This record gives sequence, C-alpha cells and structure tokens, in this order.
Amino acid sequence: MPGMWWVVGVVVLAAIFSAYLGWTAQRVERLHTRAQSAERALDAHLMRRAAAAAVVAEQAETVELYAAARLALDAEPGERESAENDLTRQLQAVTLDPADPAARTLIATSRRAVLARQVHTDLVRDALSARRRLFVRLLRLARHHPRPEYFDIVEPFLPEAPLIPAVPVPAAPAEDVLPAQAV
Amino acid sequence: MRIGIVSPYSFDVPGGVQNHIMDLAEALLEIGHEVSVLAPADDDAEHPAYVVPAGRAVPLPYNGSVARISFGPLSTARVRRWLKQGEFDVLHVHEPFSPSLSFLAVLSARGPVVATFHTAMTRSRALAGLQNFLQPVMEKITARIAVSELARKVQVEHLGGGAVEIPNGVAVRKFASAAPLPGWPGDGGTLGFLGRFTEPRKGFPLLRTAYVTLARERPGLRLLVAGPGDRDELYDDIPKELHDRVEFLGLVSEPDKARMLRSVDVYVAPNTGGESFGMILTEAMAAGATIAASDLDAFRRVLDGGRAGALFPNGDQASLTRLLGELLDDPARRAGLASCARLAVGAFDWPSVANRVLEVYATAIEATDGRVFDDEWS
Repeated sequence: MPGMWWVVGVVVLAAIFSAYLGWTAQRVERLHTRAQSAERALDAHLMRRAAAAAVVAEQAETVELYAAARLALDAEPGERESAENDLTRQLQAVTLDPADPAARTLIATSRRAVLARQVHTDLVRDALSARRRLFVRLLRLARHHPRPEYFDIVEPFLPEAPLIPAVPVPAAPAEDVLPAQAV
Repeated sequence: MRIGIVSPYSFDVPGGVQNHIMDLAEALLEIGHEVSVLAPADDDAEHPAYVVPAGRAVPLPYNGSVARISFGPLSTARVRRWLKQGEFDVLHVHEPFSPSLSFLAVLSARGPVVATFHTAMTRSRALAGLQNFLQPVMEKITARIAVSELARKVQVEHLGGGAVEIPNGVAVRKFASAAPLPGWPGDGGTLGFLGRFTEPRKGFPLLRTAYVTLARERPGLRLLVAGPGDRDELYDDIPKELHDRVEFLGLVSEPDKARMLRSVDVYVAPNTGGESFGMILTEAMAAGATIAASDLDAFRRVLDGGRAGALFPNGDQASLTRLLGELLDDPARRAGLASCARLAVGAFDWPSVANRVLEVYATAIEATDGRVFDDEWS
C-alpha cells in the first residue's frame, strides 16, 4: 500500500520539523538570556570603572576626570555611551602611578570592562543572528524577548603601566623580581 | 573555582598546545583552584594527577600535520560522564574546531564555556564555509581567547566573534633555575641559536655569516645551535677550521632547552619574518640571556621596544655583525639588557598569564548563569 508509506513519511517529517522548532525555540531563549546577563555584567563593570576613576580623580584633584566619572555614573540610558566614551578619553590622557592602590584598581576594573564589552558584543551578535533565522521570524519565536542591542562604545582600554623603569636597573638576582600580578 | 580543561591532543606526544595546557593547569592549581584536564590518553599511561584520560588517541592528519586525537561514540560518552561528574564552574576548551574532544565537549556542555585558539589555521577558508553549520557550536562558547595576534585575526575575519589576546605564558622559574651545560658559556663568549636552521625565515644564514666574521677576530668565540635539522648540513657551510668551535645539539627536550639558553652569552634571533609572538624570546629572557633580535613587530613588542634586548634592522647583515661584536665586548651592557629582560618577562610568567585567564573565566561566568552541565543534545 503506497499510500501508507506516504503517511508515515509525512509523520516522520513533521516529527523532525517540530523537534527542530523546539530546539530552535530553546536556542533563541538561551541566547537572549545570555545577552541580558552579559549586559548586566557590562553595566556593573562600567560602573565600577567610573567609581574607581572618581577615586583616582579625587586623589589627584583632576576636575575634568572627576566630572567625566560622575557623568558616566549618573548618565541616563540614552547618554550612557557618549559619557563612557568621554571617560575613556579622559582616562587615556592621565598617567597612572602603578604603586598607587587606587590606580591599580582602576587598571584592573578597566581590564574587566574590556572583557565584559567583548563578551557582550559577541552574545548580542549571536542573539541577533538567531532572530534573523527564517522560522524564528515566521513563527515570531523571539516575541517574548526584547531585541538585544549593541552597546556602542570605544574599547575602554587603559594602557598597562610600564613594567620596566626608564633607567636600566643594575643586575638583580632573579628571585628579587616579582611577576606583575594581575589583580 | 572548579575548572574543567579539555585538551584536543594526546599528552603522550609533546607539543605546544599540550605544554600550554599543562603549564596553565599547574599555575591554576598553584593559585588554589580545582582543575581537571580531560585529554586523549591511554588509561594505563603515566600522566599528572589532574589529567583524566579519555581513551586511546588515533593519529589523524589535521591542518597540515598529524594530530593524535580522540573522536567517536566512546569519547563522547567519556566527555559527558566527565562533565556530569566534574560540576565545573567553567569549561575551558582548546582548539574547539578541530575534530576532537574539545569539539565534543562544547557540543555536550551548557554554561560558561571559554575557548582558546592556538593556531592561525591555514584552512580557515574551509572553516568559514562551514560557518552556518558551526554557528550552533560557536554560540555555546561564551568567551574566546587567542594566543597571538594572528590567531585573533583568523577568529575575527573567518568565524566572526571577537577574542581576547592572551599570549602564551612562560614558566620563568623553570628557565631561570636551569643549570648551564657543563663547560658553557666559557670565557671566550658564546652565541646561541635555537630553531630549524634550514628554514629561511629563521634567518640562520645571517647569524652564520656574522659568527664566521667575528670568530676570525675572537679566538675563543663559540656558537651553540639547537633545533631539528641535519648535522652535516649545518657544518657544510661553516669553514673547516671553525668546526670544533660550533656545537650542534639537535632537537632538545624542554629541560635541555632551558639549559641551552642558560649556556649562552648572547641569544640571537635573526628571524626575517613569520613570527607572530616570539615565544623563544620570552624563554631566553626568563633564562637570563642577553638577546639580539631582528626588529620584527612581534620581537619589538616582546622586548619592550628594545629595552629588554638589542634590536637590529631585519635582514641587515652588517648591522647584526656589528651589534654582536659590541655586545660581546661590553659585559655591562649585556648585564643591563638581561636584567631588564628579567623584569619584562614577568608579564609573560604563568602566574600572571593565569590570572588574566581567570578574569576571562569570571567574565564568562557572569554572562551565563549557573554552572557547566551536561546538555541533553539540545
């Protein structure tokens, strides 16, 4: 009975297709959750960086840096990106003393902000590319999730303090040299 | 933190990726984390306590060389059992797009996954063609690390997705504490070279010519060469009267490499190109050698713009010869460069590299709630 095989074929295909849809729906869900977590993490690290910058600015009494840090901390969602960029520019202009604990905290928080931004950008891209898939659009699988958005800031990179003093030091035994520990 | 690391290649054969994983695992253990490394290996073979064998590896030609890897249903079962039992806070896979345990682990895991890319793969174009197919695997990886600028570029251009560049670490202590080979470096001065001397990009002919010129004026000057290659081929191009002042060690083990680097007055890196990082320079720096290197971008960066080692214009024979002569005649300058190198190499020391890797772990954990767990193939 050829008609029977036809029915079996359709049932199998339907089963495969619904498994695919279930898998895709889960994937969309997971990618959006991750993009949201990454956004919260990025937000927290930028806050920490601004706070650390404010401490350094207070110590050094640099008014511009302090103002930039305050603006980044208080910025409304729409102005956040430009405020963070201003802060990055200000930070790249100051010279930090690696012996100062506040400066070390600032360098460490900046490094974490760089990482958080990188991961956030990647995860947002993954989520957006999942949203573009045919069945995700047709069946509106992403309708429960707000569209993730890139956080468009320049790399909040802070040059690391130089490892070597400008004047060559006299030969020292190797065990006196401490590795530059990351905080 | 409970960390699960997956090695794609067997620990039975030495290799760059394997060394990297072992040094990283040991550095993380020393900081106080719990580390388990899943690697292809025989159950009865000898390996460190933190290694979990995942079954015998089979040789498979991959990316221009033969890799010993595990792949298949049995490996998959082992990977999933390891994931289930490990309860890791973070999963760290190496070379996840090789057909290997790493790939299986990414496929089977859910949660914070960090991937390290070592090679700038030559078949990256084929990989780019598979991008749609690989996308579901790609997006399971939360954060990516590239060990060199080149590996990072391949990541960004062919696979999409950024990567943090964290260079290879160097086990500074192992190099700094190695004993020089008996009788070296001696009083007459010793130049050293490590690498495949027949490969043009390593620039050995530049050093050979410089050595021959200098050795004629300096009766005690010796040359120490290590690396793969044919002994006769090396000596054929060196004048007969200098043969007993040139020592060829052949391919050396890791401990012998450290001893070799401790046995030279000046380590010479005359490379004319093709270096993306300059691992050997960090090792020579850790060993306390004075370095003379061509001014490739990679070398300039590692040597802190020339303060941690002397640079000469790439490919310039006369400059190299002159520079080596000056260094050999000036012990104070050599000592100054070497002590700067010892400071600069701190940035590449494993404890500090491991701390940077830990920051990536933390970032991946923040972006993915919960632990790594065995995923039901979804």
